[in-house]
Amino acid sequence: MSDRPIHKGPHDLGGTAAGPIDTTDHGMKFWEKQANALRNTLTRKQVVRVDELRRAAEDLGDQYYKLAYFERTTMALRTLLIEKGLITETELKARMAEVRARFDVPAAAASPVKKGAGR
Amino acid sequence: MTPGKRTQPRTKLPSTYNPASGHRFNVGDRVVIKHAFPPGHRRTPYYIRGKEGVIERICGAFPNPEELAYGFDGEPAKMLYRVRFEQKHVWPGYQGPARDIIEMEIFEHWLAPASGRAKPASPTQNG
Repeated sequence: MSDRPIHKGPHDLGGTAAGPIDTTDHGMKFWEKQANALRNTLTRKQVVRVDELRRAAEDLGDQYYKLAYFERTTMALRTLLIEKGLITETELKARMAEVRARFDVPAAAASPVKKGAGR
Repeated sequence: MTPGKRTQPRTKLPSTYNPASGHRFNVGDRVVIKHAFPPGHRRTPYYIRGKEGVIERICGAFPNPEELAYGFDGEPAKMLYRVRFEQKHVWPGYQGPARDIIEMEIFEHWLAPASGRAKPASPTQNG
């Protein structure tokens, strides 16, 4: 009986001790809004389905608990877009490098923004 | 001008709901939730598997999310029921009032007829 394989996804928490619930409104970061908009668009156009996103998130296993909500859903979206052949891992990596370079701002010393003169 | 008021109505996606035509169970039937733990995308909570409840309503037929989750069309659609459970039956040692209930929506393929006085299994003990 105890040898029976039990498949229980990380989302299936009912009845387990969960501790106190964080009810703070954390707001949304800029990237989270963008990722959410992309996910909503792709869901609305039925490129991906909510059911698939849920499955891809559940398949994150232990990583599911380590990630924040929007990280989880973004990881799920990434999995599905690669799975469906709409993007490739290589393309994604190249694009990420490109975007990262855009934010590769010079060191503080070279910043054109003047520091407040001790006011 | 009222801020936040939409100038155009949002076009709604068509509902996937289908009226219940062929259903195995009727309102009031006693059912037992399958005591199974298969891999895959499953929406029947772990803690309710093996428990006994009563059909509260027939929700209709919907594309099967267990198939939709893997990119298939979810056909054939599966009948969805709202099932009512007694909390004291679901949670061993439940402290609340005996009349407390919990209801959840479960697809037909997770249900079996409750056979008379079948003793309820408790999946929470072997977790």
